[in-house]
Formats: sequence, C-alpha cells, structure tokens
Amino acid sequence: MDIRDLQGYGSFFMTIFLVVMLYGYIIHLYRSEKKGERDYEKYGRIALDDEVTSTPVEDKPASKRENEKEKK
Amino acid sequence: MFFHWLEKNPFFFAAGISIVISFAGLLEIVPNFAEAARPVVDLKPRTVLQLAGKNVYKKDNCISCHSQMIRPFKSETDRYGAYSLSGEYVYDRPFLWGSKRTGPDLHRVGNYRTTDWHENHMWDPPAIVPGSIMPAYKHQFTNLADIETAYAEAVTVKNAFNTPYGPEFKGTRAAWEAHKPKVLEEAKRIADDMKNKDIKEAVARGEVPEVVALIAYLNSLK
Amino acid sequence: MQANAALEYDYSLAKKFTFLTILFGFLGMLVGTIIAAQMAFPELNYLLGEYGTFSRLRPIHTNTVVFGFTVSAIFATWFYVGQRVLKVSMAESRFLMVVGNIQFWLYFVGALLATVSLLFGISSSKEYAQYEWPFDIVVVLVWVLWGFNIMGLIGIRREKALYISVWYYLACFLGIAMLYLFNNMAIPTYFATEGLGSIVHSVSMYSGTNDALVQWWYGHNAVAFGFTVPIVGMIYYFLPKESGQAIYSYKLSLLSFWGLMFVYLWAGSHHLLWSTVPDWMQTMGSAFSIVLILPSWGSAINMLLTMKGEWNQVTENPLIKFMVLASTFYMLSTIEGPIQAIKSVNAIAHFTDWIPGHVHDGVLGWVVFMVMASIFHMAPRMFKREIYSRKLMEMQFWLQTTAVVLYFTSMWIAGITQGMMWRAVDEYGNLMYSFIDTVTVLHPYYAIRALSGVMYLTGFIMFAYNIYKTMTAGRELSEEPQFRTPMA
Repeated sequence: MDIRDLQGYGSFFMTIFLVVMLYGYIIHLYRSEKKGERDYEKYGRIALDDEVTSTPVEDKPASKRENEKEKK
Repeated sequence: MFFHWLEKNPFFFAAGISIVISFAGLLEIVPNFAEAARPVVDLKPRTVLQLAGKNVYKKDNCISCHSQMIRPFKSETDRYGAYSLSGEYVYDRPFLWGSKRTGPDLHRVGNYRTTDWHENHMWDPPAIVPGSIMPAYKHQFTNLADIETAYAEAVTVKNAFNTPYGPEFKGTRAAWEAHKPKVLEEAKRIADDMKNKDIKEAVARGEVPEVVALIAYLNSLK
Repeated sequence: MQANAALEYDYSLAKKFTFLTILFGFLGMLVGTIIAAQMAFPELNYLLGEYGTFSRLRPIHTNTVVFGFTVSAIFATWFYVGQRVLKVSMAESRFLMVVGNIQFWLYFVGALLATVSLLFGISSSKEYAQYEWPFDIVVVLVWVLWGFNIMGLIGIRREKALYISVWYYLACFLGIAMLYLFNNMAIPTYFATEGLGSIVHSVSMYSGTNDALVQWWYGHNAVAFGFTVPIVGMIYYFLPKESGQAIYSYKLSLLSFWGLMFVYLWAGSHHLLWSTVPDWMQTMGSAFSIVLILPSWGSAINMLLTMKGEWNQVTENPLIKFMVLASTFYMLSTIEGPIQAIKSVNAIAHFTDWIPGHVHDGVLGWVVFMVMASIFHMAPRMFKREIYSRKLMEMQFWLQTTAVVLYFTSMWIAGITQGMMWRAVDEYGNLMYSFIDTVTVLHPYYAIRALSGVMYLTGFIMFAYNIYKTMTAGRELSEEPQFRTPMA
C-alpha cells in the first residue's frame, strides 16, 4: 500500500467520520432540546442582555457544580 | 454526553476546531511533497545572476500582473508555448505562478524575447508595445542588483534542500569572493547585447544593475 | 470576583483599535483607488518614482486592508464584544489590560514598518503573505498576545456559555495562527551563511508546486478566517443587539459554524485549477467549493430571518440597512465564488479581472460594510455620545452601494471579455487577438472601476468624519443605549 492509497482511505474515512459527527451533532441539538435537557435558543439572549451587571444565562459556578454531578 | 462536555470546555473546544481545520491540509498537501519535488530531466538550478534577477522580479513585484503558469489549453499553448510541468518548478522558492494576467504569461518568455527587446521594453513599454499599460522601470537601470544575497540564497538552498549547486558553493566570504567573477562574467555577456552605455560601464566597473540580472532571469525562463 | 455598582466595561482598547481601523482603512483604500486609476491611466505610475509603480503599490493595498484594516477591526470589535458576551470587564484584570496595550503598540508600530518595507520592495512575493521574516515574527507575537487576551477573558468570564460570536473569534485566532505559521516558513539566508548579503532576505521552505499548494491553502483560508469567520462573529452580535431581536435560530448558527470549519479548508485548491497540482485535488477543491454554499448561506439566511417581522427597521434605522446589505453581499459573493470554482468556468475566469471583481464585492460589500456598521454601533457606547449625523450616514450608504455595484459589474464584464478574447480563434483555428488587444479593450471598464474607487473612498471619508464629529461634537448621552443606536 503506497502513500496514495493511504491518502485516499484517510480522506474517505475522515470525511465519513466528520459527516457522522456533524449529523450526530444535529440530532444531539434537537433531541436534547426536545427532551427538555437544554434550551439552545436561550443563548441568543446573551447578545441582547449583556450588561456587566446582568444575570448570566448560565452562571459559571453553578454550572461547575453541574459538571461535577455529571462526572458522578 | 460527549457534545455537552465539548461545549462546556473552551480548551477542548479549541482543540476540536484545530483538528477539524487542520485535517484538510494534512491530507491534501503533505503526502504529495516528495512527488511534487521531483525535477524534470536536465533541470538546472538558476545561476547566481539569475537568482539575483528573480529577486528583482520579486522586489518590483512583477507577479502582480504576470503569471508563470501555462495551462493545458490550445489557446494558451499557441500563445505561450508548451504547457507547464510540475517538475519544471522544483527549484523555484517561492513559486511565482501568479494569479492575474494584466500582462501576458512569462513562463517561456526566454524562448521568444531577446535581451535587447527586454532592454527597450523595460525602459519604455508603450514604445515597444503600443497601448501597453505597463509602467516603465527606469530605476532598474540605475539600482544595483544584490548579487551577494543571491549567492547566499544559492548556498542556503544547497545546504538545506540539496539543490544541486557545485561544491564551490560555501557560506564563507572567501567562497563568495571566489565566485563573484563568474557572476560578473555572466553579467557582461548580457550587457554586451545591450545598447545602454551606462549599463556597459557599470558592468565593466564590477557592478550589476538590476535590469541586467532581471534580463538574465527572464532569458532563463524557457 | 464580586460585581459592584461601579463596575463598567472598559472600552479603552476597543477605542484604540477603532482609530487604527479607520486609519488603515483610509490608507488601504486610498492606495487601492490609486492603483485602480493607474490601470486606466498609466501616466499615474510616475507620481513617486520607483515607489509609485502599480507593482510596488499593489501589495501595500492588499496587505494594508487585510493586516491593517480588517485585523484592527477584528481586534477593536473583540475588545468590545468579548467583554460584553462574557459579561466580564477588562478592568477586572490588570494583567489583561497590560497585555492588550502591549499588543496594541507592537501591532501599530509593526504594521507601519511592514508597510514601509513593502514600499522599499522587501517582499517574499507570496501573495497576501509578502512580509519578510522579521515582520512575520512581529505578526506572530501580536497574534500570541491576542490569544492570551481571548483565553484570559474566557478564563475569568461570568457567563458560562460561550456565545456564538466567541466561537467565531476563537476560530479566527486558531485558523490564522496555523495558516500564517506554516505558509511563512522560510530560512533567512544571512544566518544560513556567514552573514552574506541582506539580513532581511529569506528563502521559502517549500518549492514549486508544493509552495503553490501551501500558499493557496493559506491564501484561500486567510480569506476564510480573516474576511469571513470574524465578520460573521461580528454580525452575530451586532445585528441582534442593534435590532433587539435574538438570532432566528441559535442551533442553525452552531451547525453553520462547524460546517464552515470543516468545508472551507478543502476548497483552497480551486485557486490552482488547470495548474500542475494533482487532478484529484483540483476536483476536490471544486466540489467542496460548491458544498461551501451551504454553511455560508446558513449564516446569511439566519441573519435575514432574524429580521423576520421587523423589516420596518430597515427603513427606520440606517445601521440595520448597512448590516442587511452586508449579509446580502455575503450571499452574493459566496455563490459567485463556487461558480468560479467550476472547472470550465474557471478556465475563462482565472487570471482575469473577474477575480478581483469577486473579491471586491465580498470585501467592499460585506467586510467593510459590516465593520463600519459595527463601529457606528460601538461609537455611542464608547464615547457616550449620539452619532453626529444620520443624514451623512444615509448619503454614505447610497454612495458606497452604488460604488460596489459599479465595481463588480465593470469587472465582471472586463473579466469575461478578456477571458473570451484570449481563447477566440478564427475559422482556421488561429488565435484572433494579440495580447495587447485584450488589454486596450478593457480601458473603459478600468476607468469605471477607478471612478467607483473614488466614490467608495469618498464614502469612507464621510464615515471617518462622522465618527470624528461623534467623538467631539455629538450630543452627550446620560446612559448607555440598550438596542437601537441613537443618532441625530
């Protein structure tokens, strides 16, 4: 197998892999929103309500705790 | 969940972007390096004077208006000569294909233009080609080409990339002083075909005006 | 870190980079207009002796608008948007302020010196990467400092979620870093020998076809990560903020982002169609260029849909008009590019004026319009004053829109005319035109293009004047406006 074949297989599988990832991501986005786990559209509010004193859409310390819960 | 985790970690997020954007380059470019670097038979690296001319070509940025890439169409091979091959460019650092033809292609200009044509044309383009919008490059007749830098370039590519320059190409000042007469000799051969008195005198003094080096380079494009 | 009543966003760096945006924008467009005029009237080549020829000035035009104007605008908006969407003030970190100021001065001095170096012909002759190695090092340092600032600000943020604009700025940082570094790999000849010759001269690590591949992988994607990615980041913040409408679909913005990241890098080889690079790469470049329409239009349509039900704002607010026009031009140039990347079309279009025509409907219509709109939006917040004149803004809008239309229509016609004439043969199969015939025929189009340059430049001067008067004579505001930018 020469470098050309490797290149061909590499690009083929990498493309498949990334397409699967992209579609997986689309499914992930819509499914987690449907299940009520996440609301992606609320992040659009970050641009509108952006005073330094306004409440974050997702608070940093709070979500840190959430992360730790997920790990368990 | 994997995607949740990715969205929440800026570091891994950045790593993700880097992987996605670098893989095209890795797969497209890297594997061809060895192959695209094989020269055509009998290809010789440019002489020091020609390299100095290439640096004048770069300095005055001829690439803004002239390409060096003949595409495989009949209309182009009729106009400019045989279409370009990858192996013809292997000693070109950088490549000078260009992306715009405000003026004609120059990849084989050495086949159909002569030293005196270039001399007259660089002095006053519209006088040779009526309607030409190319500016005159009279300053190339007085500015001196940097042949020492061109020599340093030849030595650098010899040492770093095994470009086949002879054993006398060494990075010392003594080696340069020993090589310099050869450069001047080549410059004199160009100047002999020119009519400008000042150029002839300058070359006789041991100086190389930019236009002499440039013409040496253009004549080498075949 | 505790939020307190006195805490405010610190716009000092955003202001500084805004000044540079305007300065380099003016310089770059001025040189651009001069070289456009030189192509119609070649006598103009001799205004500055050796230093005034078209060939010396062209890299100054391209590098000043790319590395001067656009990069300043990216920095200016980052130091504004970055703070706001992360809900953290630069004033909260003395370290980041110091790094930012070093970045500013290094960038300012470096950019000026680099421009002068091009004027003297110190150039590597790689398109859009002409700077020689000492200036490359400055560029890299500036970029690393900016990276410190992005990461630092993200590190101390209050808002856990990264807004989509931050994604784009981050991608801009990573993409340009990778591309610039690899494309500019060169060996300084002075140090590779015993100090022979010029100290600034270097020789590229790549040669011939390899160099071409690396260069256009860079050249194409420098457009991606300089003229597309950060500008999309800007519009994702400024259009919703100015109109008071959240992005139409945040999910679509995320998908378009990853689509763009993945597809864009493959399309670079469409600059090398019919050349000596392997055929499969050329085909790959063509194919991915077509696919690229999807993520590009995904973002643009998302922007237009954000205005759904709010189209009255386009007539009421000139800033919205700027931004809507910008996304329309983005759509135009992202469909035009793939068309030019089709191999049979490219056979005619390549090497002709259609290519600069395409570039300029993208940059004049999309990049510059979006940057000016961003600065108009930021100015009242940064200077706490109302925009000086709405009327001037409207005039500028129409003048510049006409200029862009004149520019690309004249260059479309010029490009296709020349491409067709190069290949035209008579009944015996001989070429019909000598090269010079195909040059003289373009004179009227070059003249129209020069005129459009003058008009666009005039519009930019009106913009600069308006910002200057806003700073000095605009009505003072008692509090920061929330959405719509106030103007007199």
